[in-house]
Amino acid sequence: MTASLYVHVPFCVVKCAYCDFHSTPISQEPGVADHFAWAVGEGVVHWAALGALDDVASIYVGGGTPTTLGPALVSLVEALSRSVRLAPYAEVTVETNPDTTDAALVAHLVDAGVNRFSLGVQSFDDVVLRTLGRCHTAASAQRAIEELVSAGAKVAVDLICGVPGQSLDSWRDSVERAVASGVGHVSVYPLSLEEGTPLAESVASGALAAPNEDVAAEMMELASARLAAAGLRRYEIASYARDGDESKHNIGYWTGRPYVGIGPSAASMLPADVFEAAIACEAWSDPGVTGVGRTLESVPAGTGRIRFVRSADTIAFLRKPVGPPEEVEYLTPAEAAAEDAMLGLRLADGIPDALATSAGSAEVLAGLESRRLVEHVDGRWRVTHSGWLLGNEVFEAVWNAGARRGLVWHSL
Amino acid sequence: MSQATHIRNFSIIAHIDHGKSTLADRVLELTHTVADRDMVEQVLDSMDIERERGITIKAQAVRVLYSADDGQTYQLNLIDTPGHVDFTYEVSRSLQACEGVLLVVDAAQGVEAQTVANAMMAMNAGLEIIPVINKIDLPAAEPERVRQEIEEGLAIPADNAVLTSGKTGEGVREALEAVIARVSAPQGDPDAPLKALIFDSYFDTYRGVVALVRVIDGRVSKGMKVRIMATNTVTDVEEVGVRRPANLPVDTLDFGEVGYLITGLKDPALVKVGDTVTLAKHGATEPLPGYREVKPMVFTGLFPIDGDQYPDLRDALDRLQLNDPALIYEPESSHALGFGFRAGFLGLLHMEVVKERLEREFDLDLLATAPSVEYHVFTTSGEEVIVHSPQDMPKAGAIERVEEPYLRATVLVPPDYVGAVMELSESRRATFKDMQYLSATTVEMHYDMPLSELIMDFFDQLKSRTRGYASLDYEYIGYRTSKLVKLDILLAGKIVDALSFIVHRDKAYQRGRVLTEKLREIIPRQMFEVPIQAAIGGKVLARETVRAKRKDVLAKCYGGDITRKRKLLEKQKKGKKRMKNVGNVEVPQDAFMAILKVDE
Repeated sequence: MTASLYVHVPFCVVKCAYCDFHSTPISQEPGVADHFAWAVGEGVVHWAALGALDDVASIYVGGGTPTTLGPALVSLVEALSRSVRLAPYAEVTVETNPDTTDAALVAHLVDAGVNRFSLGVQSFDDVVLRTLGRCHTAASAQRAIEELVSAGAKVAVDLICGVPGQSLDSWRDSVERAVASGVGHVSVYPLSLEEGTPLAESVASGALAAPNEDVAAEMMELASARLAAAGLRRYEIASYARDGDESKHNIGYWTGRPYVGIGPSAASMLPADVFEAAIACEAWSDPGVTGVGRTLESVPAGTGRIRFVRSADTIAFLRKPVGPPEEVEYLTPAEAAAEDAMLGLRLADGIPDALATSAGSAEVLAGLESRRLVEHVDGRWRVTHSGWLLGNEVFEAVWNAGARRGLVWHSL
Repeated sequence: MSQATHIRNFSIIAHIDHGKSTLADRVLELTHTVADRDMVEQVLDSMDIERERGITIKAQAVRVLYSADDGQTYQLNLIDTPGHVDFTYEVSRSLQACEGVLLVVDAAQGVEAQTVANAMMAMNAGLEIIPVINKIDLPAAEPERVRQEIEEGLAIPADNAVLTSGKTGEGVREALEAVIARVSAPQGDPDAPLKALIFDSYFDTYRGVVALVRVIDGRVSKGMKVRIMATNTVTDVEEVGVRRPANLPVDTLDFGEVGYLITGLKDPALVKVGDTVTLAKHGATEPLPGYREVKPMVFTGLFPIDGDQYPDLRDALDRLQLNDPALIYEPESSHALGFGFRAGFLGLLHMEVVKERLEREFDLDLLATAPSVEYHVFTTSGEEVIVHSPQDMPKAGAIERVEEPYLRATVLVPPDYVGAVMELSESRRATFKDMQYLSATTVEMHYDMPLSELIMDFFDQLKSRTRGYASLDYEYIGYRTSKLVKLDILLAGKIVDALSFIVHRDKAYQRGRVLTEKLREIIPRQMFEVPIQAAIGGKVLARETVRAKRKDVLAKCYGGDITRKRKLLEKQKKGKKRMKNVGNVEVPQDAFMAILKVDE
């Protein structure tokens, strides 16, 4: 089985104002970073023993901010390399932020096998960075890019548009500077207000203007045009790359490749047989976790794919790196196909006819075509320019056409 | 069987939330009518909606046996009446079944509009009124002030008002003693032909219509042949009995007694509130006074969101009508909304309750159009057309004049808010009649106003502009000519019939402008631009545009996001299902009610 491996490092120096991902400020307590690296190693050994990591196409160490672990991150990556069988040309990415990107650490990570860094730049405008609650400046982002590029790794940067107070000029400047930095991969995200974040609260209280969808759309179009002119093709809704610099790991998510997630709140997606083998493990029938033995005795008949999520509790993960998930979702082969079709349509190249048929979405795609949201070219369905910006119309139609029964959910 | 001298028939009347139903609960407890283990709150409010909203919709009668301080046992018939102005006629019939009332007034809130209205009704019916100042356990209770308000505002002696707490049960025994001492025993002629007043009815799936009756003269027994006078229906009495509060059959109900009567009739339209039951042969010649046909005053279109539910909606309306003969309906079809029903109600509360019951008890997803009233349209060709729905309004050129229902509104409010009430009333075409101080803290104001203005969120506006202090009551005073026109709303260039409404000509421009603005906020952005226009005939008064949606995409979607984002898409689909496709514009339910919110 070819799979991807995702490691979630839940630590950040400071949580950003817009972020609702699972993270906690890095503990000053000595040994936490090493303890975390050990715990990830335990998880990797568990899944390797079950054969899930025999052919790993990509590794992504994300978060949080993995580089807050410092030298322990190097041992973590070394442990991964020891336990998994990497495919030839496998992509090994580490996510980082300007303020935690240290030249020596980067060099050690490259030595340990990291060949790609994803840097959270978000903007080259210090005012916008402050609104977002980022604790770095445009200058430190510039310096971090230079360090990463000179270390010989591929570099991807993230940019956010549609931020309250962000002008079109500010945005254009950020895109230009990303292009000028010479990175091969740029992700462009319109700001989305997540419930409960400080940014959402500022907007709700009126302290900040609400993001304007029209302005965000204009900014996405501006970025698309400018990046294309610089040779970075939009290969997915938010992802731009030079040829060959596309993220293999992320493409895995959009093409149905199984993945193993390790760390608090990490999601995994595996075929039924691998999941069943995991259930049988001693570590999964934890009497301390109520109901597990009963609920996870077997996989429902007709299940094609299983997605499950570990608890977001970092302390629990550190105490017990291997254990049963908190939530499990069973998908039939038809639902798995509908999901693959929905996710595949995020890609600029879209999905082949065969997938559209097995996902039961041929009919709705024809309907979407008449609304000019998708087009049919060379035996593939793909989104049009308006389908790109109105993707939810497409995803909703495709997913709901394929998902005919209620999903079976287990909350443990 | 009790002697008539040991019978007392009484009702509890009150403004909403003054504690009527809780007080009734305490009476049932005190007299051991309901076993402790069966005691729930508001025993007599049997519908879920009644309990949740704290309102009484159906009248109820319960017989309790009370051992009084004089050592004798009395039969007390407590008739619980609806408290809302929508059900004024039902209340008046219930009062006809009594000799006295407990007029309950909240010790903190004091006299309110329905207190006045109910007290007037009881006075007009010639009933003994016993003032009860309730909720004396409240920290804000001011029984002395309230006593004064009752005396000054209602001209009812209140020096011997009973002080009670429905919560603690304090004073409940004293209230019952007052009933025995002050309410007269029923008078009647035991030898005259039977005359029994129907004061409510309900439908039992197995037994048919069950009528709640008060025997005025004579007696009624099982097996008798009786005539229901207004509908001229002759039938056998299958069973008579008393409510304790469950049905308990007895052989006979004598004059003065309250109970139920089952005839086997299946059609509720034959057993109407206010009608008289007498003997089929040698019966009474004159019915009891006061019967009238109940007329719906407020109309709305009810449409299933999912057109396949139309037959289910019809069945549900049929079922509800069995217990609620005041509900009327006829099929209506709309270009915008498809097939549905035009339903008529006694008032806004009645309408809300029916809609809520249809959705909850019959699991229907309904879209209701803005409520309307019954217009009398006189055409140039000399015809009179009754219009219940703006859709049915004749063309402007064919109309000579239009009449609309008017009412006399009574508003009770603290003096500080008189200005606010005047301002609101003026904006609602209300004509000020008079005002008077009921006490230093309460002013009573009277207005004549069109019903169509009252149903446009008037009560909520009144409440919000007076910080909740104002109370409202009204009575119908007949039809008056008004300069009315039909205002159409166009979405994407097409008239949406379900959004049309009838409005006074002088207000048409302002309402049209505000409504198009409201609709622009309510109608979500679609994939194309949607113009919204308000027009009379072909003349456009106002225009707004919902701009096309440019961006709607979940940009970030990696492994951990997939499940969550997919759930979002499923939610989005459900949200769309709650909307109605009008042409190809998705219109949310709120849009059809937007006209009610033009004052916000």
